[in-house]
Amino acid sequence: MVFLFNPEGALRILINILTFAGIYGLSAIGLNVHFGWTGLLNFGHASFMGMGAYVTLLLMPHAAGREGEITTTGLPIIVAAFFGIAAAALFGLLLGLPAIRLRGDYLAIVTIAAAEIFRLVVRDLESITGGVYGIISYTENLQKFRPEFINNLSLNYEFAPAQAWVGMIAWISIFLTLLLLKRLNNSPWGRALRAVREDEDAVRAMGKNAVWLKLQSFMLGAGIAGLSGALLAFNYGSLETTVFVPLLTFYVWAIMILGGVGSITGPIFGSIIFWVIISETDRLAYIFFENANGQQLAGVRFLLVGLLIMLLMIFRPSGLLGKKEELLLDVK
Amino acid sequence: MLDQLGNGLLLGIIISVASVALSLLYGVTRIVNFAHGEIIALGAIATLFLSSPIDYRFLFLDRFTPLGLNFVISCLLAVLICGLFGGLLELLLFRPLRKANVGNIAVLVVTIGLSIFIRHLYLLFATGRVQNFPLELQRRQTYLFFDMTPRNLKVLIIGIFVMVLIGLLLTYTKLGKAMRAVRDSEELSSVSGINSDNIILITWISSSMLAGLAGVFQAIINDVRWNMGFLILLLIFAGTVLGGIGTSFGAMVGGFIIGILVQVSVGLPFMEGHTEAKNAVALGIMIVILLFRPQGIFGKKERIS
Repeated sequence: MVFLFNPEGALRILINILTFAGIYGLSAIGLNVHFGWTGLLNFGHASFMGMGAYVTLLLMPHAAGREGEITTTGLPIIVAAFFGIAAAALFGLLLGLPAIRLRGDYLAIVTIAAAEIFRLVVRDLESITGGVYGIISYTENLQKFRPEFINNLSLNYEFAPAQAWVGMIAWISIFLTLLLLKRLNNSPWGRALRAVREDEDAVRAMGKNAVWLKLQSFMLGAGIAGLSGALLAFNYGSLETTVFVPLLTFYVWAIMILGGVGSITGPIFGSIIFWVIISETDRLAYIFFENANGQQLAGVRFLLVGLLIMLLMIFRPSGLLGKKEELLLDVK
Repeated sequence: MLDQLGNGLLLGIIISVASVALSLLYGVTRIVNFAHGEIIALGAIATLFLSSPIDYRFLFLDRFTPLGLNFVISCLLAVLICGLFGGLLELLLFRPLRKANVGNIAVLVVTIGLSIFIRHLYLLFATGRVQNFPLELQRRQTYLFFDMTPRNLKVLIIGIFVMVLIGLLLTYTKLGKAMRAVRDSEELSSVSGINSDNIILITWISSSMLAGLAGVFQAIINDVRWNMGFLILLLIFAGTVLGGIGTSFGAMVGGFIIGILVQVSVGLPFMEGHTEAKNAVALGIMIVILLFRPQGIFGKKERIS
């Protein structure tokens, strides 16, 4: 619809939506491993994304802080991204180790609080993370590997080549992650994990370590979120702590519920639908407010996200694509 | 460190009143209400709307003219509006969900959606500007061993009075006993002739009125912001958890402890230059409590895993 009204720069808008959809979709896939597969109520997803983003960026050449202090040495991006994912997974383990035994609603409170602590600490450690001034000048680490054909296409079709490259990597990551998850889902490990969600006691009776299985799922989902966080940083071009506020977590939740809890490919479609809706809301805002300012645009956007979460949870808790029997929301 | 004690007591009374409200609601309905913060903000915004002078048109998008009522009457009306709002939430949203046997976790997610929705309504209609009640500025004075303005001292005293009243109501009136009965077991209380639907409705109303009062306090002590409820929500969770989820007395004490800890921690030696991170201290305490003593300081043991 965006494209019908906007023939000019249509491809640029399309690529913008697809890039965000890819990055958030990847994050929602991670959240789905937590909630959809294992039934863990994680409301601190933003902190896993943040952990992945900060560790990845700080290990590479970058500039940070008020003075824009430049660090010229660093690891190559592949290695840095690996450490970023590992750090996010490790953070998942550290948080999960004590918290995973908690009942659903308590786990929700602990994870959202831990995510806020993470954000406050990152903001406070200005000498390392750049604090409120953030991190800049790191995109070149990724963009220097940008293939020539994107540049050529961007000349003909008018879109931002840098964002197209980030989007492409996001979708390649989604593809690889899905391959991995498909394999895992059909493996004995995946079956045991779903069994944990359905009936933990039965899993224990079979001699499996249910807590360790949950922890593994927590780490896996956190790692995926870490990668998406790093990609988000590359998409923005500069990173600050305000990116990782709880609202980011709720965005990802909306996407996961929209796509279908427990469905492996659901989050991708959920994410695309979500971002198309989001980009359409700006038009809606202009109907209500003539000359809507940025604050009003954001207000209408989040208003709809809240409404979406509420309505989906009430009328279609299994999402647009999810299977009803895969859903376990009656955790007592 | 001691100079922060006055601020700590004031933050304590806000969190304490809000925690009692949250705890009451959780105790009776088992709903972890993430939209609690928005009811708090409603109390403040409604008071602002009722009490601002008529010529302050720019407050609400230039479209709505403030009413310019007497300040105390505005506060009372705002608390009533919050109660009405809570009652409507129960009747229109949460009762149907309960009748449809929607699980606790799904309801929790619904309250998150509700919270985001309402909060951004405030952003749209009450604007993102930081605003203040139409009250004259006052100088801080020293009372015993803490400083605060005379008005804030009044807030503190009223708050403590309200909480004592709530405690007495819960312990000695028929309604309070019925609330506690529904909290302990909805089925058993309904076979003893208690209409649990009515009790839950009354709980929603009274919890929302208390939340609104906390919002009025917060706005008198600090200011009115569209997201003021969400900013303080996690601290309220911390207060509730510290005292023991579902216990009213515990929530009062827990809220006070959290408020004082947050403000006093600013004066700790290792916190020098890190005042922004003060909320992390309270949240850290909450996590530790949940992990090692999940029933809180005053709560009864219950299965939590």
